[in-house]
Amino acid sequence: MIDASLAIDGAVAGPAAAPASARRRFRWDLLLLIAPLLLVTAVVFDVPLLNTAYWAVSDAKSGALTTRHFQEFLESNAYMRIIWRTLFVSLEVTLVTILLGYPLAYWTTKLRPRLRMIVLALVVMTFWVSILVRTYAWIVILGNAGLVNRSLHWLGITSKPVEFLYNELGIVIGMTNVLLPFLVLPLYAAMLRVDQRLLQVAETLGASRLRIFWQVFFPLTVPTLAASSILVFILSLGFYITPAVLGGGKVPLIANMMDLLINRFARWEIAAVVSVVLMAITLTLYAVYQRLREKYQ
Amino acid sequence: MSGRFRLSDLPLATFAILVLVFLCLPIMIVAPMSFSDAKSLEFPPPAWSLRWYQNLLGNPIWIDAGKNSLLLATLASTAALACGTLAAYVLVRGEFRGRRIVEANFMAPMIVPSIIVAVSLYIFFARTGLLGSFFGLVLGHVILATPYVVLIMQAAIRGFDIRIEQVAATLGASQLQILTKIVLPNLVPSAAAAWIFCFVMSFDEVVVTLFISGTHVTIPKRMFAELMLQVNPTVTAVATLLIMFNILALVLLLLVTRRSRTLAAMT
Repeated sequence: MIDASLAIDGAVAGPAAAPASARRRFRWDLLLLIAPLLLVTAVVFDVPLLNTAYWAVSDAKSGALTTRHFQEFLESNAYMRIIWRTLFVSLEVTLVTILLGYPLAYWTTKLRPRLRMIVLALVVMTFWVSILVRTYAWIVILGNAGLVNRSLHWLGITSKPVEFLYNELGIVIGMTNVLLPFLVLPLYAAMLRVDQRLLQVAETLGASRLRIFWQVFFPLTVPTLAASSILVFILSLGFYITPAVLGGGKVPLIANMMDLLINRFARWEIAAVVSVVLMAITLTLYAVYQRLREKYQ
Repeated sequence: MSGRFRLSDLPLATFAILVLVFLCLPIMIVAPMSFSDAKSLEFPPPAWSLRWYQNLLGNPIWIDAGKNSLLLATLASTAALACGTLAAYVLVRGEFRGRRIVEANFMAPMIVPSIIVAVSLYIFFARTGLLGSFFGLVLGHVILATPYVVLIMQAAIRGFDIRIEQVAATLGASQLQILTKIVLPNLVPSAAAAWIFCFVMSFDEVVVTLFISGTHVTIPKRMFAELMLQVNPTVTAVATLLIMFNILALVLLLLVTRRSRTLAAMT
């Protein structure tokens, strides 16, 4: 505010421009201001993505349009298996995230304000630490001599180490851990927005606590739960680091397949097809996510 | 709801605390392991030592990676902040056809899976000769960071009273004067927050970097490569330093903003 008033004092000398011409000049200024980002976005994002889409439907040498790459992709069992596995793993991760995240968010809303802040701070903190570090930590925790296997052995539950790593279980654990905050934080906010008077009314009318929860509270949080679950699912589809590190190359998902197609087999056109397919799925789900958010928030 | 404690709340509390432990465990476990004396990732560590930190600091590859990461993150976040802030101003204050489409376009890199961006930039840069260049790498990081700048700065500009700008315009200030002398100085806290956010993002970025960096090594790239080769406890020391870096950045961010609007825009 102080800066503003000083600047206005300094600008008093200039005469006020006529409204019409001022408006026209205004627009040119704005175009100049937005131009750098327009340029960067076009050159480093729009054109490369369109180029990829073009690679997916054209012959690399002649440049003629073709559906050959899509056919090869659809007819290959190996590609299809990885696509289905990715969808399945993403679904698993989403379900586990809901089962773990909903109770955590609900419990947090019931805490005293100070405890609440601590829990939220912990959730936000994990959100901030790099995915690579958090994924790596699971190797330390779940390895054969790691914390979990040592504890299980010490408690006498297992006689030899459980194989947590380099299989689907490890991936689901790692991805769930990374994606939990994406569900917990919006859900927590939505739960706080629930009108407490509705719950009181239900209580006055003699409903049991269980019934109040399932028939009044839960339905009011479903839109946010659905939106965040879609977000978690979308993010799971494109995961690269966690399957690479915790799957040890044994359980490749879509992103790892794209890496192999580019860096190992140099099949750019198939990688482009996979990009287009993944993009189509992502954008469709994102449209649903946006609709849910706009409708209920 | 009342704050009374009931016995029936106990299962929920236990479950929620276990989930919280699950969430925080990776961050809590890495630091003690980095001071272990063992060559394997044994828990609990049989003895304590600083050998992995000595290993790390004595290795020129890691030092080089650290310098690269710092330079890359500084350049990328500064460029992203500059482009993003100016564009955010136009998006908030300007009225033109296609505004929503332009905004969606600016936000798109945040929504499109980074593996698609990585593959697309790889193919495109390979064709234009930018693949493996440091400049190309900076551009890749800029495009990943700009959506967050636009988001944060739009929120900040919306919170800035437009009447102050109108008064300045009436008094004859040019658009440039309004922007540089009135709007921007008032946006400094949010801009600092956006910059820190982008810096951390760029510093931690792995996927796009792996695809387009060529021979340039950054800390996450080096760490990823180590993880794929063998289990090397030096990585535990790196991870601990990264956790400290991230938490420090978060604290700095909170100190800088203190304004709930900026934070709300980020979560």
